[in-house]
This record gives sequence, C-alpha cells and structure tokens, in this order.
Amino acid sequence: MVATSNTYKVDKMVELLKGKLSRQVVGSLVGCVHCGMCHESCHYVVSSPDEPKYTPSYKADQLRKLFKRNYDWTGRVAPWWVKAEQFTDDDLDRLKDIAFGTCTNCRRCTFNCPMGVDTATLNRIMRGLLTQVGVMPEGVRVVSKDTWELGNQMGVLSEDYVDTIEWMSEELVDEVEDDDAEIPIDKEGANIAYTINPREVKYDPRSIAKAAKIFYAAGEDWTMPTWGWDQTNFGLFSGDDVLGGTTYRHLADMHKKLKINKVVISECGHGYRSTRCEGPNWSKTNQDFVMESSVITMLDYIKSGRIVVDKSKNSTPVTFHDSCNNARSCGFYEEPRELLELVCSDFTEMTPNRQENYCCTGGGGAMSMSEYTPKRLKSAKVKADQLKATGAKIVLTSCHNCVDGLADTIKHYELGMEVHQLVDMVENALVLEECPAMKKKAAAKAAEETEESDA
Amino acid sequence: MLHVAEIVHWAALAFMIIVYCARIVWLLKRPDGIDRQMKGEKAADNGAMMGALYSLGNVAMPWAMESTRKGFGFYLSFVFFHLGVTAGIWLAFMHWLKPIHHNAPFGWVFVAFIGIAFLISLGRIVRRFAVPYLRLISTPDDYFALFTLTVWFGLGVTAQAHLVSGQVDAFAMFASDGWLAAYLFCTSFFLVYVPFSKISHYLYYPFTRFWLGRTLGHRGSIGAARVRA
Repeated sequence: MVATSNTYKVDKMVELLKGKLSRQVVGSLVGCVHCGMCHESCHYVVSSPDEPKYTPSYKADQLRKLFKRNYDWTGRVAPWWVKAEQFTDDDLDRLKDIAFGTCTNCRRCTFNCPMGVDTATLNRIMRGLLTQVGVMPEGVRVVSKDTWELGNQMGVLSEDYVDTIEWMSEELVDEVEDDDAEIPIDKEGANIAYTINPREVKYDPRSIAKAAKIFYAAGEDWTMPTWGWDQTNFGLFSGDDVLGGTTYRHLADMHKKLKINKVVISECGHGYRSTRCEGPNWSKTNQDFVMESSVITMLDYIKSGRIVVDKSKNSTPVTFHDSCNNARSCGFYEEPRELLELVCSDFTEMTPNRQENYCCTGGGGAMSMSEYTPKRLKSAKVKADQLKATGAKIVLTSCHNCVDGLADTIKHYELGMEVHQLVDMVENALVLEECPAMKKKAAAKAAEETEESDA
Repeated sequence: MLHVAEIVHWAALAFMIIVYCARIVWLLKRPDGIDRQMKGEKAADNGAMMGALYSLGNVAMPWAMESTRKGFGFYLSFVFFHLGVTAGIWLAFMHWLKPIHHNAPFGWVFVAFIGIAFLISLGRIVRRFAVPYLRLISTPDDYFALFTLTVWFGLGVTAQAHLVSGQVDAFAMFASDGWLAAYLFCTSFFLVYVPFSKISHYLYYPFTRFWLGRTLGHRGSIGAARVRA
C-alpha cells in the first residue's frame, strides 16, 4: 500500500506563502499583540457579539499559524508556545469558511489596529493561497474561470456586450431626441474610454445609458472599448494576484491600443480599487496612464460648467454609503459627497461614515458566495441599523457591489429604502437644454435651419 | 549579589541588541511592497510621507481611531502601562543615579508609575482570562509575557520603594540591594526572552505603522494626506 500525505496542498501553500512575504506582510504577521482592539471594528462581531471566532485577529491568526510554523524563529523551535501550526489538507475547508465566509476584507479592523497590522490584507493572502490550491467557494471558482476565458467576470460574450451597447445607444437617441447621439465603440484617439462593471451589461444597462447621456450633455469625446472594458477584478476577492494583474493589463493594453487620453471607471468600489490602486502592484508594472472614477469626471463637468444640473429635481431624502474599497483603500471620501451636494437637495450623513463606515456586507465577493448568505445577512444587522437611523428614503453609493449588498440588507430587514448610484442622481438632475454643448448644438441647428429657409 | 546582577543584565542587554539587529535585518531583507499606482486623485503631493508620519503619530491621537475613542479607558491604561515600562527600564539601567532614585519626590514618582503599571498588568491578566475572544486568540507566550511582566513590575515597585525609603530606614536600605538584585535578574531574563516573544512588538511598531501610513497616505485615505477637491 502506498503511503500518502495529506499535506500536499498545505505544502504548496507554504511554498506560495514565501513569495507573499514582503516587508509589509511580515510586519503585519509579527506585529499583532493580541490586544483585541480590532474586535469591535468588525461588522460580523458587532452583529454577533457572542461569537469569538469573528474577531479579526483570530481570522488573521490562521495565516499567522502557518507563517510562524514555517518562517518564524520561535514558531519553528517551539510551535505550541506561539500556537504555530502546520495544517493538514483536512483543515482547508475550515480555513476557507473563515477567510471567505467571515470576512469581507473591508479593512475596518486595519484602521482600528494600534499596531498598524493590515489584517484584511492577511485575510486576502489566505484566500489567495487557498484559491491557488483549488480550495474556494464555487462562486469564486466560476467567476475566476469566466474572467480567464472571456476577460470579464460575468461571462458576457462580446456579441452580447456590443448588442447591449448598441441598444443603449438607441435609447440615448430616443432620450435626447438627437439622431447624431451615439455610444461610440472602439473609437481610436478618444479623450475618454469608459469602462464598466459587467453587472451593468447583464442586469442594469440603464446605468450605461445614463452615463452616455451625461457624456453627450458634456459634449465629451468618448468611447466604450470592446476589449478591456471590464474594470472589475475578481483577483481582489479571490486573492489571486496573477488573475488580478492580468485583468488589470486588459485595461492598460486597451488604453495603449486605442490611444486613449484617460480611462474612466464607472461607479464600482472593488473595480476602482483593483484598477486604480492594486492592479499596478499585482501586475508589477507602474501605472503609466491616467484613470479616474466617473464620480470625479461628473464632478468636474458640473464644476467647470460643462453640464448644468438642478438639484431640486432630486428632493427625496438621501444618505450616502461609502464603499469600503473606494474609501478606506483608495481615499475616496469627499468627492462623492461634493457631487451629491450638487445634485441632491436633501442629504443626511449616516453615522459612522467615511473611513469608519460599515461594509454593505456584500463586499469581498460575498455576493457570489451564496453558501455564506445567512451569515452575511446576520452580519448586516449593524448596517441595517445605520441605514434606518438616517431616516432617508434613498441610499446612494458609488459601488455596484454595494448596490446589491445594500438592496439585500434593505429587503431582509424590511427597511423600505431604495438604492441608487450617483450617476442616477446626476442624470436625473441634468438640465440638458442649458448645457453649453447642447446650446451650441441648438444654435448650429438653428443657423442651419435659417440657412435652409433662406435658401 | 547586586554586582553580579548588574553584570548579567548588561550582558543580557547586549544579547538583546544583537538579536534585534538580526531581526531587523531579517525583516528588511524582504522585498518592499511599494504602491505603484499614481498618487490618489486628491492626495497631497507628499501624501506618502505625510501618511507615514500621521500613522506613526497615531499612538498619540486617541481620537483618530474608533477603537481608542470607544475604548478610551483601555487607551489610558495602555498609556500608563507603557509609562510604567519606561520607568521600569530606566530603573533597571539608571538606578545608580542617586538623586533620582534615592530621593523624594522623584523616587516616589517612579514608585507610582511602576506601581500603576503593576496594577494595570494584573487587570490585563484578568481580562485575558475572562474575555472569551481574548482567550481564543491568546497563546502561551501571551500569558507568560503578561505574567512575567507583572512579576517584573512587582519587583520593580518594591525595589524602587526600598531605594527611596532606604534613606530614612536602615532595614529598607539593607533590603533594597536584595530587591534590586532580584529585579535586575528578572530584567536579564526579560532581555533574553523578549526578542523571541510577542513583547518585541515595539521593535516592529515603527515599521508596520510607517509602511501602512505610506501606502494609505499615497492613496489619500489617511487624514493628514488629504487635500480638498
């Protein structure tokens, strides 16, 4: 009988871990003093205070055990003394449930650690190690496969993508009553390439039409690419840096190929973080082109007078939810607020907010891991309380993932609120005929008509 | 005895410094995970460095983190605990400075600092045993470090009390040498043990906070690095 080991996968994880041990990661692995200050920062803990295993440091300790057992002095000599542990392959499902099912990598604990330990990053590394040995939730596996095969995380075929864009282009023509209005596809040398979340193609194409209307109103020279259009990146959730880096390169290559001036990323927290912040790190290339969130683009349009809005058109009480990835990981706090103050007349902050806001609870890819839905919804109690306290009828967010996470929370806790993105508010507040590009167009048309009648 | 204890504890200090140097080399041999993105859209030009400074200063800004705002009592205990540690280290290596350690009021100030830290340390032992999530994450090293630190504070406060009261009490003067020797032996044990335990967190602290602050400052997500749109 052939003797077999049940540590094949764990051995591989240990080997892979070595490649992840940057100074920052090692610092976070050795820096924790188990003080427990991170405990109450986690929405899982706040919503289930009697479950000690939700403590962020416990989750990070799973990676710490592996690190200490294999790479740290004390752990190698006296593992029991520091609870270092060499797992077996039988432990991996349990580790998967901890890394994927009890943490959304929202980074709230990181911001509450006196030692500067980046617990969320450690959890992502654990996810990545598990993913690389084939241990992951089924949803993560499917989405990763779709990204590798089709270049987008929802398996949208190129034909379907183009069909949807053309359909929305027709909607735009009807909406603005201008036969010349269009969504340009693969236009070389355009000022802006607008990249989106595949969810927009599959479930919310109106958001594309709304963005198109805003670009049209601003008289923007823009395009939507047929490759490198998915700004989301499941590598962030699965912890797979190779997938993350490759997905980022899709956009970078599209930018070069179409000779675009600026890549604009539609409202998506993890997409923004992956593309704007982490992609260059994963692909080990310096970011050599300008990219910005569509929130910045819309804000600049209003502030520079390129589009004109009337905020009285959005008079329903609104509140704003900071996406964890936009806010804590990318410093995107004030711009969305500045924009919504310009387009909404009744805004109330939720408490806490900005870097202290709680996760929508659908972050970290949680929406694609249905096996953890009951836990996720239970952890959403704190979010539900936060939303309810605002008294708002609409919660705005700059993230597609948060839209779904919040919608689920609102439904589960029967809050009777709607969820929208800022693009919805800007589009609704547009005063199309007052926009300079529209006035110019109208003047040109009037001159043409005068010429024709004179003739 | 006291003379031997002094020699041993200076030797232990030398050992600790050597191990710490090796530890820092071990840490810095790792690749630096630099943030490659262009700086955040609204981050200041010097965002990375400002973020790092802000992050390093975090320890003195209890209002900056929800965890220290909500747990202000715990933060205060952290402050006094570490003041006690500082006083204890000072006592171990500078006890020969007679005007400070043998005379009131300075001598009693040291007693107060180390004594308060001793009480906080006792409280922390209770907390670690009583709170379920702390029990779950605690290692034998966590318990042992806390126990020995409590003993160290206990010996320190006793030694210092005898040093300062020895000026008026002959018995105390005689006993102070014994307590001080015991304290120095305990310190020596610590100096050898610390580099292999979680107590060495203070060695990593400046690095972890600097790196985290540098990255988040570069992205503009730490307060001091922000500029208004």
